[in-house]
Parts: sequence; structure tokens; C-alpha cells
Amino acid sequence: MSNLLSILILLPVLSALACYIVRSGAVRRLVVTVTGGVLSVASVALLLRGSFEAWSPGTLFGLSWDLIITVLDFALLGVILYYGFKLKSLFIQIFTLAQIVLLSVFEFIIVEHVAVPAFRADNLSLIMVLIVSIIGSLICIFGLPYMNRHEKHLNLQKTKQPEFFFYLVIFLGAMNGLVLANNILWLYFFFEVTSLCSFRLIGHDGTKVAVANATRALWMNSFGGLGFVVGMMLAYNAVETLSIAALLTAGPQGALALTGVALICFAGFVKAAQVPFQSWLLGAMVAPTPVSALLHSSTMVKAGVYIVLRLAPAYQGTLLSDTIAICGAFTFVACAALAIGQSNGKKILAYSTISNLGLIVACAGLNTPLAITAAIMLIIFHAVSKSLLFLCVGTIEQEIGSRDIEDMRGLYERMPRTSFLAITGVLTMLLPPFGVLLGKWMAIEAAAGSIWVIIMLALGSALTVVYWARWGGGMMGSRKPGQPSESLPLLINLPLMLLCIGAVGLSAATPAIYANLIQPMLSSAALAVNTTTGSLGAFAVYGLYIALGLGLFVAFRAGRRAPVLRKVGPYMGGANLGEDGSFNGPMNQPVAFGAGNLYLSELFGEQKLTMWVNIAGAALLVLMIGGGL
Amino acid sequence: MKYVILAFIGLVVAPLAGGLLAGIDRRITARLQSRQGPPIRQALYDVLKLFGKEGLALNKWQIICAWVYLIAAALACTLFFLQSDLLLIFFVQAVGAVFLVMGAMAGRSPYSQVGAQRELIQVLTYEPLLVLVFVCMYLAAGSFNISDILAVESPLLAQLPLAYIVLTYILTIKLRKSPFDFSTSHHGHQELVKGVLTEYSGPYLALTEVAHWYETVLLLGVCALFWTTNWLWMAVLLMATYFLELVIDNTMARMTWRWMLKYVWGIGLAMSVVNLIWLYAG
Amino acid sequence: MFKSLIKNSRAKSPWIMHFDCGSCNGCDIEVLACLTPLYDVERFGVVNVGNPKHADVLLVTGTVNHRNKKVLKNLYDQMPEPKAVIAIGACGATGGVFRDAYNVVGGVDKVIPVDVYVPGCPAKPEAIIDGVVEGLKKFQQKVEQAG
Repeated sequence: MSNLLSILILLPVLSALACYIVRSGAVRRLVVTVTGGVLSVASVALLLRGSFEAWSPGTLFGLSWDLIITVLDFALLGVILYYGFKLKSLFIQIFTLAQIVLLSVFEFIIVEHVAVPAFRADNLSLIMVLIVSIIGSLICIFGLPYMNRHEKHLNLQKTKQPEFFFYLVIFLGAMNGLVLANNILWLYFFFEVTSLCSFRLIGHDGTKVAVANATRALWMNSFGGLGFVVGMMLAYNAVETLSIAALLTAGPQGALALTGVALICFAGFVKAAQVPFQSWLLGAMVAPTPVSALLHSSTMVKAGVYIVLRLAPAYQGTLLSDTIAICGAFTFVACAALAIGQSNGKKILAYSTISNLGLIVACAGLNTPLAITAAIMLIIFHAVSKSLLFLCVGTIEQEIGSRDIEDMRGLYERMPRTSFLAITGVLTMLLPPFGVLLGKWMAIEAAAGSIWVIIMLALGSALTVVYWARWGGGMMGSRKPGQPSESLPLLINLPLMLLCIGAVGLSAATPAIYANLIQPMLSSAALAVNTTTGSLGAFAVYGLYIALGLGLFVAFRAGRRAPVLRKVGPYMGGANLGEDGSFNGPMNQPVAFGAGNLYLSELFGEQKLTMWVNIAGAALLVLMIGGGL
Repeated sequence: MKYVILAFIGLVVAPLAGGLLAGIDRRITARLQSRQGPPIRQALYDVLKLFGKEGLALNKWQIICAWVYLIAAALACTLFFLQSDLLLIFFVQAVGAVFLVMGAMAGRSPYSQVGAQRELIQVLTYEPLLVLVFVCMYLAAGSFNISDILAVESPLLAQLPLAYIVLTYILTIKLRKSPFDFSTSHHGHQELVKGVLTEYSGPYLALTEVAHWYETVLLLGVCALFWTTNWLWMAVLLMATYFLELVIDNTMARMTWRWMLKYVWGIGLAMSVVNLIWLYAG
Repeated sequence: MFKSLIKNSRAKSPWIMHFDCGSCNGCDIEVLACLTPLYDVERFGVVNVGNPKHADVLLVTGTVNHRNKKVLKNLYDQMPEPKAVIAIGACGATGGVFRDAYNVVGGVDKVIPVDVYVPGCPAKPEAIIDGVVEGLKKFQQKVEQAG
């Protein structure tokens, strides 16, 4: 046990230090790849060991780990404060100073330091560890060749990769710590580490925009951190223990404690970029792609929803629970609407991520066994599919020099492999029998009892179809026979392939995942599950998987077997000129034709909606926190 | 055995019925325009002829998409007759809708691109309302399962009159009738020259046509769920609904998608919410 | 069985596309008159489509000139086999009174193969319907020859 945990949390730290100190590219390549492999294996091993109730590390050179964490906590806040002064950001300074003061009060005056088990793992934690360790590692490995190309594009004199991989790899350790922590002070520490890492990674390129966006990310997350500290104090006041497990078993405990829980959830909301805090995640898109993939798919934002989901038993059956569901559902529909107005591929991904996180939060708020199942399913499958899509967009961007989906039209012609993977990614986000849809189905089924949530979910899921379908369809295109496929470095190709296989293959395993991992931790069975016929409730996963898989197979066969098509251009009123996409215009001059997407900007434009979304989001948040009282 | 027969009905009988219905549709439309109209089996002839034609497509993606559209529609229809979960059926038919759009976007044709965008807006318009109608049925019957809905003692229509009206809006959009026929321009010679279907040709057009028959039967099946206690009344309800669709089709002009989105969402959401609240209260 | 069904269906569902190749509109009006309740060609399964990719029969009215001959050729090429072409009116058949004009190429058959000629200035709707029926027989023959 102790070995596995120290591998999962401390090995990334050591590897990160190695990357930072030894500045050779070859060593970095080796260290990151090996760390990734070891982490993946360790996470699987931890899963096989199963959940455990409590485990505390001993001491390090005679010092208790609790003390070390406390010292590191203050050091960390000090570093953030330093950046606050360096960037001259008043917000960061205020929020961090407030945190330092409150934390000192909490640590030295309020808390009686009784030993509390530092780590605890139930199946939710184990699933999170798997996601972080495997997907996160794949993203880090993808980052190796990507960053080489990235720096070539930027013409850097001196490589900045050691710092980059330092933060990237340490992030994995912090995330593993966060999801396994049982002592709320430890949780807070890891929470702050992820804030700092993401700040450094967003600002990595050092451009003006990058620094500005990194600053915004930091102040917002400091604000969240402040909420965390206050919430932690209130919750401790009520239950008088630092152990999260004890807090959860105690259940809802009066108004003040519930406000504390609401504030901790608020910290999770900020981390998960729920409205009105979505702007930091959108700004984070300036960072190199591995950062976006790591922050938005598997880790950072998942930490936010993890906290909300973790605390679900502590607010079960209260008004807070309902308001959390409404906040989440609102984020779901608002960000899906905002995504429609976007043509920037990475922004669409960002909005879609926030929207999906909103759905997960809504599920946590609905707080029935079915809804919790939906939330966990969504966490798993969203992480796989979304990281695949991010890495695809990054690869495409390096090739065609744009991340606009209008420029990705007919991309299949130039990049058949990547666009095929990207289209698969889009389909796994959108359609049955893939896992994300399965989660959405459960969410709708679970929300059928609460009118406002179900209306927002219905609207949101329709909006989602629009932006995915047009992106996926736009990437399809024609190819001349015999045209060679694009060549990609192995370390880019491999993660893409693995993620794609994971996104498609894992969906077939949903009944097993449900029966073995999710069901045991629910209070009552959410669904009649039958692993042999593979049905979850009425959702016959295997049946659908086989039927639709067969359908796809038939379709592809029909496509492949179709006789060589007579070359005919698109219908252009008969005025086509050859196949080069132009028609015979005035004065016999060729005029290029084409059509863009409808972005419905008069209804869903960013300028138009953002302000109202933010106002409504903030109002709902106030309602949520007030709802605790 | 019962399920084999039901699956057979869903898979084989349904599209034939849908084809005949399309023929009847054209016949009645002709009568409404004081014409004689084609034979009832005309739609079947059309599709058979299309299967015998040369296949033309801009690329292989289109062929794949046409096939997936058909298979998903057939699967959704079969699941309906097997009395599965309504939401599940809804999501499976959404596969078809999405692939139809993606196939239309696969080529560079401006006509089919514009048609595809409009089809997406139509999907955007009817999807949330359809989910809400299903939720209404869930609240009335206590389950999303069709077998449970069939077991309800009294006709659902009595509890869900507004939801049924919303469903007729959805039906009009889904059947691509005026005033909501933006994406395929009901008559082929109009400005979009069949929009989303422009580049599907020959057998591939036939595939989309058959898929459309499946969808028609599926949607009428959902309508039928509103009166399951008596066969006669169910038939009357369906015939009245379809005739209403035809009258609407023949008396309305095509509007714009902006109007559709605002109008149908406005009316549809309001009616669904009222019906939902009524159910919650009751 | 499926094959014979398809074969029988061909003649029952001729979808026509009408291309005005520079007509004076006289013949065009007559073509559209076929769709009116009086003649109602939909009785025979005729549908007026706007897109060569859906069409079986191409109805061409008017003379071909140098500007639109490429368009006519393109439209013909975009129709899937089997297909038939019907030239309508004096102009469609030969170029009519415009035959000798400087910009006129001539009848439709100068650019694409024509199966049936429907004479008249303008051609009567009955004649056009006759021409379509004649055209269907022709392409039935073509299909049989091709096997």
C-alpha cells in the first residue's frame, strides 16, 4: 500500500525534479515516458488492491507528514503571494493574504491536532487515480514531441521545456494526492498545488496574452481557495474533525456546516470553471495543447467536480443539493449555447468541457444513486474522449497552422489519420452506444423528477448536437486514391491511437465498470444491471454496441466496396469548372465557391450572451451558498 | 416468439407501411390541390427505381453516412416495436439525424452545406421538445419504458393534451412539412434543390428515403402511445393527426429558421412546462 | 425478383429536370403547365426535380448558345445512368428561328445526345407528356441493351 501511494504521489515529484535539474532532452524523454508507464501500472495495481479505509504515512526524518504539509502549505501560499506582487494583481494579493491569515488562525488556534488518517480510497478515488495516471501520462508523453515542434515554431533560443515538464509532471502527483486525500488540510494543499501549476503552465509561453490569462486563472482559483478555507473552518466548527470520511458519514449538519460545504463546493465550481468563472478556462487555451488537454480533460477541472461529487453525501436531501443541480444544469445549457457561436476549435472544446462539467455537477446535485452513477460515467468517458479531441486539435493546428473549424473543412484530404481519429472522438462524445451518451441518458432519466433541471438538460443536449455534428461533418472530405497518409512521430501517434481505442473500447465495458466499480459504493442499486447480456436498465449496451457496430461495419464495407465513383463535382447549377471548387462566374472568370457554418451569432454570440450568462450564473451561485443557510 | 414477430414488424413491415403512407400522403396532397395524384404505391416505385440507378456521391464518407442513417433509423424503429426505453430510442434515432447532416457536409457542395446547417437547426428545435414530451409521458406513466406506458389504464392524451400539441409541432418538423421544410425544400426545384439531400443520388438517395419512412412510422408510433386503450380511437387519432399535418403542409408558406427557432421553442417550451407543472401538481 | 421490381419501377417513376437553355419562355410555360391540375403529370409518377443528381429525364427547351453549352454538358454529366434527354420545341430540336444567329450553336443534340424530339413552337403539353413517355421507352431499351 505505502509503496503504491508513494509511487503515485511522490514519483511524479521526483521525476519532475529530474526533468528540471537535468536539462537534457534525452533524459527528459526517458524520465517522462518511464514515469508515465510506472504511474499507469501503479494505478491499475491500486485498483486491484481495492478500496481502503484509512492509511497514514509515517514520519520523514522524525517529522510528522502533517507538519510537513502545513509548512509546505504556507510556503505555497507565499509563492502565490510573491506572484501576486510580481504581477501587481490586487485580487491575488488580497485573496492569498486572506487565505494565509485564515489558515494560520485555523491551524494554530482552532484545530486540535489529533491524528487523522491522511489517505482513504473508495472506488471514486480509484477511478480518478486511473484517469489521472493513465490519461495524464499519455498526455505528458504526447507533449514530448509536441513541445519540440512547438519550440521550433516559436524559434526559441533556449529551451523552456525543463520548467514545462516540471509543472506538467508534478501536476499528476498533486492530482493523485488530491483524489486520495482524506484529511481536509491535505486536500486543500493539493488543491493549491494544482492552482499554482496551472498558473505556471498557462503562462508558459510568456506572451502578453498568456501572462494576462494566467493571472486571471490564478486570481480566480485563489478566490476559490479562499472559499475552501472558509468552508473548511465552518465545516470543522460543526463536525470537529478534519477527516472527510467523518464529515460525509455525519451527513447534513445544520445551517452553518451546510454553508461550509457550500463554500467548499464553491471552490470546486471555480476549479471546474462553472459560470460565471468560465473565463479562466477559456483564457487557458493560449497554453500549448498538452496543457489544455491536461487541464481540461483529465485533471484540473475534474478536481473541481470531484470535490463536489465527493461531498455529495454531506448535502444529500437539502436545498443546497437542489441549487447545486440547478447551477450545474445552467452551466450545461449556457456553455453549450456559447459553444454554438464559436468557430475556434479549442474554444469549442473548452466550452463543451465546461458544459459537460456542468452536467456532472448537476448529477451530483440530483444526488440519487442513478445520478451519481451518471456523474462517474461522465467523468470517465469525458476524460478519454476529450483528451483525444484536444490532442487531435493540437496535432491539426501544428500541421495546418490554424485552430479554426472553418479551416478544417475537408481535412480528411490532408490528414486522413488525425481527422479520422478526431471524427471518432466527436462521435464518442455525442452518440450511443458510447459512454458519454450513456451518462447523459442516465442524467436525463435521473432528472426527470425535477422540472427545471430536466428542461435545461433537454435544451443543452440539443445544443450539444449542433456544434459537434457540424464539426465532425466538416472534417470529412474526399481523397484521391493512392494519396499517402500523413506521417506523425510515434510518440504523437501512440497516445492518439490508445486514447481512440480507449474511447471506443471502454464503452463496451460499461456494464462491467458499473457492476464492479460504481455499484458497490452506492447506497442502493441505481439500475438493474445484467453483465452477461450487458444491459444497464433498459440500455442494452452490448446489444446496441453490436447492432450499431455491425451497422458501421456494413456502412464502411458499403463505402469501401462501392464501385469506383464516376468523378462528378457538387451541384452548382451546372456552372462548375472542373473539380477545383470554382464555378464559371461573370466575364467567364472562375469564382471559388464554398459555404460556412451558421454560427447563429445573433442568438448565441459570445458578446451577446456572456454578460447575461455571468449575471445569471452569479445569482445562482449566491442562491446556492445562501441555500445552505 | 412474440419479440421476433415484433422485431419483424419494426424492421420489415414498418418501412413498407411508411412507404405506402408516403404514397397516400402524395395522393391526398394532390386531392387538396384538386389534382388526381399518383398511385398509392408511387413512393415504393420511386425508391425501387433509385436503387437501380448509378451511384453518384462526392466521396465515400457520404455513402457511409447514408448507410448509417438508414441503419440507425431502422434500429430505432425496431426498438420501438420491441417496447424499449423511449429515451434510448430517441438517442438511437439521433444517430441517424446526425449522420445525415454529416454526410451532407462531407462534400464541398454549398447547397447541401446550407441544407445541413438548416437541418441542424431543425434538430436543435425539435430535440429538447421531444425529450420534454417523453418526460411528460414518464410522469404520467411512471416509466420511460414503452411496455409500461402501454400498461396505463386510461389514454395518456387526457393527461397530456398540451404535450400532444407539442408533438404535432415536432412531427411537422421531422416530416419536413411546410412551414418547417427548410432543410430539404419540399419541392425539388426550390432554392435549395433538396438541400441536405442534394448530393445524395441514386441508391444513396433511396437509402435516405427508406430511413425517412422508418422515422415517420416511429413518430406516428409515439403519437399512438397517447391513446393505447382502444384500437379504434388510436387509429382515429393517428389519421386525424396526419390529416392535420397535410392540411398544414398545404396551407402554410415556408418561414425562416429564425422564426422557427423562436416560435417553436417559445410555444413548445411554454406548453411543455405547463403540462409538466400540471402533472407535478396532479 | 428485386431486379425485375426495379425494372418495372423505372418507367413508373420518371423524375424530370427542366433546363431552360435560352428559350423564349414559351416552351417553359408549357412544360410547367404539365404539372398543373389540368394535366397533372404526377399521375404517372413524374416529379419535377431541380437537381441533375436526382433526375432521370432531362427536358431541354430553347437553343444552345456558346455561353450555356458548358452548363448543359455539366448538367447532363451529373445525371446518374440510366438517363434520357428530351429536346422540346423547334429551338431545342434545331435552333429554330435563331439557328443562324451569331451566338447560337444550334439544337440540343449539338452538345449532348438527344433521345426524343418534341416539335412545336411552343410544344403543347400533351406533346411533351407524349415525349416523356417515348423517352422512357427509349431508356428502357438502353438498359436492356446494356444488360
